[in-house]
Amino acid sequence: MDGTQTLSRELQEIDSVVTKHKGQHGELLSILEETQLLNEQKFLSEEALNHVALRTGVPLSRVYNVVTFFSFFNLKPQGKHTLTVCRGTACHTKGSKALLDDLGLMLGCSKELEEGESFFTTPDNRFTISTVACFGQCALAPVVAIDGIIHSHVTTAKLQKLLGKISKEKKKS
Amino acid sequence: METKMINIKINGNDYQAPDGITILDACKRAGIEIPTLCYLEDVSRNSSCGVCVVEVKGARSLVRSCTACVHEGTEIMTNSARIRDARKTNVELILANHPKDCLSCLRNQNCELQAIASDLGVKEDRFIRTKKEQLCDETSPSIIRDPNKCILCGRCIAVCGNVQTVYAIGLSGRGIRTKISTYMEKGLGNVACTNCGQCALVCPTGAIVERDDTDEVFEDIMNPDKVVVVQTAPAIRVGIGEAMGMNSGALVTGQMVAGLRRLGFNKVFDTQFAADLTIMEEGHELLKRLSNKGTLPMITSCSPGWIKFAEHFFPNSLDYLSTCKSPQQMFGSVAKTYYAAKMGIDPRKMVVVSIMPCTAKKYEAKRPEMMSAFEHWKDKKGWSNDDAFYDVDYVLTTRELARMFKESGIQFSGLPAEEFDSPIGESTGAAVIFGATGGVMEAALRTVYEVVTGKPLANINLTSVRGMEGIKEAEIDMNGTKVKVAVAHTLGNARKLLEQIEKGESPYAFIEVMTCPGGCLGGGGQPIPTTWDIRKKRAESIYAEDAHKLIRKSHENPEVVALYKEFLKEPLGHISHHLLHTTYEKRGLFVWKSNGEAKKKKKETEHA
Repeated sequence: MDGTQTLSRELQEIDSVVTKHKGQHGELLSILEETQLLNEQKFLSEEALNHVALRTGVPLSRVYNVVTFFSFFNLKPQGKHTLTVCRGTACHTKGSKALLDDLGLMLGCSKELEEGESFFTTPDNRFTISTVACFGQCALAPVVAIDGIIHSHVTTAKLQKLLGKISKEKKKS
Repeated sequence: METKMINIKINGNDYQAPDGITILDACKRAGIEIPTLCYLEDVSRNSSCGVCVVEVKGARSLVRSCTACVHEGTEIMTNSARIRDARKTNVELILANHPKDCLSCLRNQNCELQAIASDLGVKEDRFIRTKKEQLCDETSPSIIRDPNKCILCGRCIAVCGNVQTVYAIGLSGRGIRTKISTYMEKGLGNVACTNCGQCALVCPTGAIVERDDTDEVFEDIMNPDKVVVVQTAPAIRVGIGEAMGMNSGALVTGQMVAGLRRLGFNKVFDTQFAADLTIMEEGHELLKRLSNKGTLPMITSCSPGWIKFAEHFFPNSLDYLSTCKSPQQMFGSVAKTYYAAKMGIDPRKMVVVSIMPCTAKKYEAKRPEMMSAFEHWKDKKGWSNDDAFYDVDYVLTTRELARMFKESGIQFSGLPAEEFDSPIGESTGAAVIFGATGGVMEAALRTVYEVVTGKPLANINLTSVRGMEGIKEAEIDMNGTKVKVAVAHTLGNARKLLEQIEKGESPYAFIEVMTCPGGCLGGGGQPIPTTWDIRKKRAESIYAEDAHKLIRKSHENPEVVALYKEFLKEPLGHISHHLLHTTYEKRGLFVWKSNGEAKKKKKETEHA
């Protein structure tokens, strides 16, 4: 019951987002962007996409085209925390691949990494791991962003410490 | 306004061309062919393949001629080492990710990629594969998509979206992960797809093909316990010749019948018989609606792609559809009741195969409500649900029939002309023209006019509803009552008329809708290629056959008259209601919501 209530509230909120942007140039992008932010897990659920298509009159296949084209849009629930490993050239030469692999081991997601996925969420929905081509912080390589804050000269040990800190924070709260 | 003519140079020679047309079109006008791959006239110019490149003086790089336009003084070169090299490289890059299983591909020897690779002299497999193996989409009863064979030309998306306004497929992903997808990768069978098959018709490779049922049909033909009868749609007789290497639009009715007999079908019948029957039922339905102030306009229901389109996109307007089944389904239920009884055949042992220009018919035949003959016999014979059978067992497209002819070693063009079997094989000129856009309307009016006024139409040829215009209209004076009618082909045009109806602005009493461009003769199951020139040639043959028929009005078909006398009694009567009419389902866009239900249904049928 609770789940359906949350859903119907989200759909109502989508309605107001659609009304706000209706008729604007590139309305679909703005609508999808705000719709994603409405969701607690920062993703576009199928129900949400159906609703956007219904309200905007944009064909479903076109909505799907847009949400799969832009890496900004998520079709799966996002973890509470986002870890972004830089895979640019400088970071790569400083061992960012090993960092990514270790992260996979630490969070129990090595399988996904082996399959070539560079974007995944832990089963408990606590962490989402993604990669970027370059942060533009090459002098500090290798860098990893945790919830938007860039950490420099990252090593596996440092990563472990940072993850531990997040876990503690969680316990405190 | 007259278009300005400009001066251009192609390969050093001077030409005149209308300002602003594409380089490709300008060259075509000058008689110079440029090879193309992703480009398809009237459907798509995506400039995604890079095969049509030419050199333009002053341009920084090679120019894609399908989208670049000519201007005053444009100097074009269409053949140079640089151009040949670029074209070849671009095709080689496409081939890198294309499977090399041509020999076992349904489009072998009828593949544009294969042809262009050969034309451009590709001799080696230069580049390695970069894409991962992807799963085929086999969710649809009509169409199978193999994304591995896809070259991302975008024609299917263009025809599905721009021509049919269905938007069942679109691009997804980016870069190397770009592919043609259905919404959330649900598969064609689980989204609002009409199964029209226009995507398969325009696909340059074997990435989108019809579901091939030829093996099952061969098996039943060889089974001595079964009586296998075949029916052929009007559009087959102007299409199958092409697929067997004859001229476009070749009219081969007699050879087709002979060929089908040689394949081993026990009886060869004509769907046109059922088309005449459809006119009897649909014509009287129209008259009833006109006199009883029923729901108008009435819209034809012969085209199963159109039916599914209406169910998905206009679920609240289904009352406008005629309740008549399509000729294919009418034939199936009459064959397994009237004919079976007349001949003393156990309908459970009867197999009805349809040869259709259509992929949507495969879906139509398997709609759960299409078991009227079984329902008819069930109580009379005390059969259980284990005996259940469909009215039509298999639907083969023109392309599949051609495959069967070839596989059986039938020398098609040398066959003698033979006649259809009796008593459900006779047809009139009115039935032949079902195959062309406007044909059902013309056939219906030939009968309706005569029933209402008691005299035949002054001119039996209603040329105002013929031709390839998207929406045609006509007005008929019937005993002082003026009746306005409209004819639409392609679902995009049908959508326009439906929107007009929903706004309450439709001036029409009767509307004919055909899903495919040109009507059935341009159907999704017809030979590839199907261009506008070819459609026109097929239409000419259709109207030629009509003109040569001795009987050209459905209500004068002696076998149809006999059917009513011996079995159905009267149009719209009790038996007709059960066997020849149907109901529709409000599907809407979000079809997969009823997935649970669909699964349940599937289980039930599996048990059955």
